[in-house]
Amino acid sequence: MAGLLLGALVLGGCEDIYPEVVVVNRTGEKILLRNASFSGCLWQQVLAFGESSSPGRCLPGEDRVHFQKLDVGSYCQQQAEDGTIDGVCACSQGQCLPADSDPDLVNERPLWFNYQTVTSYRVGYGEFHLVEITCEDWEQDFSVPGPYGH
Amino acid sequence: MKPSEVLVLAVLVVCQAAVAQETADGGSGHEAAEQPTRQAGGGEQAPGKKPRHRDRPKKKPPEQSPVEVVITAPRPLSRDNTGDEVLVEGQQLARSPQDSMLEALAREDANVYVPARGVLHGIASGATGSIHMRGLGGSPNTQVLVVEDGVPDYQGIFGHPIPDAYLPFLVDRVLLVKGGDSVLYGNNAMGGAVVIRSRWLESPGCQLLADSSWGSYFTQRQVAGLLANLGSWDLAAAFVAMSSDGHRDGAGGRQLVGISAARYRFANGLRLVLRNKFVHLKGADPGPASHPFADHWFAVWRDNAALQLSWRPAGVRLETRLYANSGVHRLYDGFYSVDYVAGGALEATLYLHPGYRLLLGLAAETAGGRVEDRSSGERPTVRSLSDTSCYQQFQLRPVEELELVVGARALLQASYGTALLYKGGLRWLLGGGFALRTRLARNFRHPTIRELYLPFPTANPGLRPEHSLNWDLGASYQSRHLEIRCTVYRTAADDLIKYFGSWPTAEVVNIDHIVIWGVEARVALRKLGPFSFFLAGNWQDVGRYTRQNPSAKMNFGLQARWPLGRQAIAARLEGQWVHGLYMADYGRRPLDDVFVVDASLRYRYRLPGRGLVLEPYLLLRNLLDNRYAYIEDYLMPGLNFSAGLRLEM
Repeated sequence: MAGLLLGALVLGGCEDIYPEVVVVNRTGEKILLRNASFSGCLWQQVLAFGESSSPGRCLPGEDRVHFQKLDVGSYCQQQAEDGTIDGVCACSQGQCLPADSDPDLVNERPLWFNYQTVTSYRVGYGEFHLVEITCEDWEQDFSVPGPYGH
Repeated sequence: MKPSEVLVLAVLVVCQAAVAQETADGGSGHEAAEQPTRQAGGGEQAPGKKPRHRDRPKKKPPEQSPVEVVITAPRPLSRDNTGDEVLVEGQQLARSPQDSMLEALAREDANVYVPARGVLHGIASGATGSIHMRGLGGSPNTQVLVVEDGVPDYQGIFGHPIPDAYLPFLVDRVLLVKGGDSVLYGNNAMGGAVVIRSRWLESPGCQLLADSSWGSYFTQRQVAGLLANLGSWDLAAAFVAMSSDGHRDGAGGRQLVGISAARYRFANGLRLVLRNKFVHLKGADPGPASHPFADHWFAVWRDNAALQLSWRPAGVRLETRLYANSGVHRLYDGFYSVDYVAGGALEATLYLHPGYRLLLGLAAETAGGRVEDRSSGERPTVRSLSDTSCYQQFQLRPVEELELVVGARALLQASYGTALLYKGGLRWLLGGGFALRTRLARNFRHPTIRELYLPFPTANPGLRPEHSLNWDLGASYQSRHLEIRCTVYRTAADDLIKYFGSWPTAEVVNIDHIVIWGVEARVALRKLGPFSFFLAGNWQDVGRYTRQNPSAKMNFGLQARWPLGRQAIAARLEGQWVHGLYMADYGRRPLDDVFVVDASLRYRYRLPGRGLVLEPYLLLRNLLDNRYAYIEDYLMPGLNFSAGLRLEM
């Protein structure tokens, strides 16, 4: 009995029985995801379409998956229209169109937008969850909390 | 033999030699008679005076040569019995299941609230460990002053202490002064003061302490301590090392604290004390659980040094203190600061007549430092802050049952002129264990360097000092087994400094006038067989400024101790409920109530003949595995444990 209790305590107190979570990018071929986070876990990697994160030990409880999204297709098209890449341009009927953007408004840096899943996932001790992020289940994330000043 | 074993052996040999010398000298080196005796009411007796009737032994010893009765007791920690004060034993804190001493204190009193986020409190954004009393304190972590062995402990730039720097292993007692006392303690003691006194070994000999524990999240804590009383010398030293992976990514860290103190007792009653404490912390802000941070690390090095000299001729006690506190803080974003606080105080206590005591004091302090953002090269201009003050407190006891205290402090600061602080209190022992007390105190805090000059996130050089007028009225009943206390309090504060908004639109301003009403109560049952129990509650109306200022809190503790000859088993169950928590003012961003229960189980065995005490223990935290947070989205650990072994010799 005492051994059972001790075993339960060890298991209950150890990180190793925290729920294991994997995030998969099922959004679109031209969409990259990065900095996915869920219930205390942070995956600092860029996930291309079809790629999955490494398994993370997250806190038990309920949360949405939060991530940053980059639509590479839209980005490349915008760069082509702005003429920021030598030899690449927007075209119409096989003709290269001149860039007509105001140079002061051109932004060459890709913008990653904060998104989150619409669905909340509840995870418990000892469970394994594979969360697939799809275009049908995301929304912009305005919940990023400000810092708790001390 | 390993070097550590050689060192321990050498210390033991020195201690035993000293004890043997002490025995040969008839113990004359211990000048206990010069220490004031402890009074039932917590008062202090004039040095050199005879003990009062109730302290004398009632029966003469049997027909023997005259026996000299030497009463050894340290000076009472409380210097104003009319205040609402709670005394907590250091060893009780050392055996608490809590990760930090401030959290352990918050479990002892419902009026003290200390938020946490895991094994370390940390510093800067995302840190916890701020102390709240009587509706004041918190963010920024000021308005409650920590005084360690008579020395105010805070950082020069940020104006608050490092919550992870307090370790109970060498703490004798902690006094919680609720309602503050700027007359005695000066700047910052607005909502309250936490007065810490360190331990000395009061009888000749040597005591070694070792404590090793291991627990969840690969948390390891190693403690080695030494207390020695060697002739005229007293020594105290402790070294604590802790490391943890934390209950979630980024919540881990390391903590190193070294404390050393030496006291020399001269034959004429003069005492010289030297203390030093260094602290090294390394950890990170893990960020909110839904949006964690990556590698938001911090690193802190701090060192406090103090020198105290006291002298107790007949009818007077003189004491002088000099201290310096400096530190280096580095953050992941390039923030780098070096800060210092240095000061001194001179105090004289005059025992004018039995029951009449006058305390006179002079104090001066300066705080400053430099700050830079190493990523941008920005170096804000920082001006040091200095103040000088003189203070006095007069205690009179016209009759045994009645005690009156009045006091005043004039605090002079170049930027703000002179602040006049005062207080007056009364305690009336009604008989039969009943007592009434009341106190009114005007307290003070000047803005910190951070609030005045640092644009992280914002600063305002035009800030004015804060003032508060704290009043409370309490009644109590105390008997051998039962204690009941109830206090009504009112905190009225002007010009409180508050942060609003967040970067880049943040601002820090004085707000006008707030009033906080509250009531707190405590019921304790003591020594009912092996059991003791307490239940404490606090309710307060904090008005609009609800940020991390809970409206209700309850604490309970149930402990039992079964002595079995050389062995003893002790168990403790304690809990905390916090209600009315918000992450913003005006009742915005409410948080769920916190309810957490912790437990500890200890077995103590004294080995025959060798003086060695073995104490294996088990600490269980969050026994109900509740999901809770003091800070929004900073989830606390679920059920977790520590198991350890404590050795005393």
